[in-house]
Amino acid sequence: MTTPVLQVEGLRRSFGPATVVDGVSLRIDPGETVGLLGPNGAGKTTTISMIAGLLRPDDGSVVIQGVDMGAEPLAAKRHLGLVPQDLAIYPELSARSNLSFFGRLQGMRGADLRRRVAEVLEVVGLTDRATGASKTFSGGMKRRLNIAIGLLHEPRLLILDEPTVGVDPQSRNAILESVEALSGEGMAVLYTTHYMEEAERLCDRIGIIDGGQIIAEGTRDELVELTGGADTVTLVGEGPLDEVEAAVAGIPAVREVRRVAGEGRLVMVVQGAPQAISAIVATATGAGMTLRDVETSRPDLESVFLHLTGKALRD
Amino acid sequence: MRVVLAIAWVELRRFLADRSNLFFVLILPLAMVAVIGWQFGSDRSGSPVSVHGPGGAATEALVAGWEDAELAVTVRTTPELVQEDVSRGSAEVGVLLDAEAETAWRDGIPMELEIITGSSSQAPAVTQVVRAQAEAVATEATQVGLLETFGDATEARAALEDASALVPPAQLLVQQPEDPVAVAFEGAEQFDNGAVAQLLLFVFLSTLNAAPALIKARRDGVVRRTMAAPVTTAQAMAGLTTGRVVIALVQGAYIMLASSLLFGVRWGSLGVAVAVLLVFGLIAAGAAMVIGVLVDSEGAASGLAVGGGLVLGAVGGSMVPLEFYSDTLRQVAQLTPHAWANDAMAQIQRQGAGIADVLPQLGVLAAMAVGVLVLGSLLLRRSLARAM
Repeated sequence: MTTPVLQVEGLRRSFGPATVVDGVSLRIDPGETVGLLGPNGAGKTTTISMIAGLLRPDDGSVVIQGVDMGAEPLAAKRHLGLVPQDLAIYPELSARSNLSFFGRLQGMRGADLRRRVAEVLEVVGLTDRATGASKTFSGGMKRRLNIAIGLLHEPRLLILDEPTVGVDPQSRNAILESVEALSGEGMAVLYTTHYMEEAERLCDRIGIIDGGQIIAEGTRDELVELTGGADTVTLVGEGPLDEVEAAVAGIPAVREVRRVAGEGRLVMVVQGAPQAISAIVATATGAGMTLRDVETSRPDLESVFLHLTGKALRD
Repeated sequence: MRVVLAIAWVELRRFLADRSNLFFVLILPLAMVAVIGWQFGSDRSGSPVSVHGPGGAATEALVAGWEDAELAVTVRTTPELVQEDVSRGSAEVGVLLDAEAETAWRDGIPMELEIITGSSSQAPAVTQVVRAQAEAVATEATQVGLLETFGDATEARAALEDASALVPPAQLLVQQPEDPVAVAFEGAEQFDNGAVAQLLLFVFLSTLNAAPALIKARRDGVVRRTMAAPVTTAQAMAGLTTGRVVIALVQGAYIMLASSLLFGVRWGSLGVAVAVLLVFGLIAAGAAMVIGVLVDSEGAASGLAVGGGLVLGAVGGSMVPLEFYSDTLRQVAQLTPHAWANDAMAQIQRQGAGIADVLPQLGVLAAMAVGVLVLGSLLLRRSLARAM
């Protein structure tokens, strides 16, 4: 059996009376990318903080590459690269200086450090901008530098905490390609996001987290299976949405229906959408809804999340 | 150790990257040393002796005598004005005559003058000139009196020679009261006191400026990323502190060197002065850490750092010398690191104190440094949890 790069058992953490992480367990093998998918406030960042040794858990254990984070935090951290959600770089310093500094913190120095700095600059496409102050970089370039710092010391486990937040589509694609390449090279990746498309594209396995608990875990297909193969139908428009919600919920094929907060949008989990769509539209318009758009989609992680929690991912 | 140095080095680079810091570190302190020096001790050669007397023959004769000796004399209307001249450094020496002195002068018997010596190193020399010239004037007055008695010059001269043997000339009794302010400032030059005060004030202010920088690093996630590396909290604290203390020492060395070259300020034993500055800088670095962790807004931290630094400096004798404080205020001042550091630096500078002489002050400063650094370390650890 393969030795896991990351083995997390029963992590718990409370802040005052609020339990933010409640019994999270996780395993990541070499070359595997595992996603933590959940809305803001689900407990993703707190879980990552405990895995990275930044926060002491109230209970549970974190073992990285066979080293217990609680017992030997410095040794465990040597196997870990963290790419935080914030742009954790010194804007006054150049890309090269930032990389050199964080490399020294990892115990790197001399020719080895210079070589790795040059390599990761190349990987993230910042070789031409290595010497300018990073505060002059675009948002996407800063994000790429943020990732480069995490890769510098060639960690066994790379943790990426929402690395594409606020990034333009082109840079986002470049970041996702980099992660795919790293995974292909054998690096274990823990990837948190609330973008289901990213989780679907990158992750071998996905843990859906909500209320501090992993409520489901598996491959994309395994998770979709949990919905019973139901489709998602979204109605967009105006009208008495409470009444429309009640009306469409009465259609036998509609298994779940939820309003997306703040938007004129009803999201439904529907068994056999192609057959049921006309009845749904007729019922909605009959209840007074003026439709602007109707979307149907095959089961995805959004519908899984809706099915499991009764909430939309972006709620 | 490499980790500590790496963090310290990056702190230095961040500090230097902000050009506005250079104004506060390099230019403003020296400008303040110059302004304060000129305020407290300018134009000594113009009026080195301040005199108050009843305005009779003795006063006139002595003033004329001192002016003949090329001393610049200012006659004041009250004794208090004379004392103020000396305290503020606008006169090297003050002389007070009263009505009894005038009477004694007229009767040819010993008269008493009160001489107040200033704090500068020139004051004792000026005092000697004042005394010698006063004695000469008094002796001459006795001789002139004798000459007038005998009328004929030949007879007078002969009588003067006889009288010299029989009657001693009028004597001058000098009363030099113990002025605590003058004693405290004994040996200090025009710019010395201001230079020490501004050195401590600006080193503290510059170092406290680490607080908003730490908040920015926390907000940007750099502190979290640093702690996710194989780095202990103690190493992170040591690195942050070292960076700021190096800045404090570089600024201190610059102020000491520049004030020495430009204004002739003497610093006594450099090694002892740097030791005081080092411990003082540690306190400021620890205080910056505490502010940087407790406060979440960079603007509020800047305000607190500048305001707090100025208040501590003012109470601790970096704006008005501690020697001018009342006993009560002096006790309050001792709650500040500035007061202990000012006291130690004054001893080093004016009295040539060595490390053993300033051990009490160094001990108190070291205890303060340990206190704020431990507090800062605990708060930094707690802030990491709070940031989740």
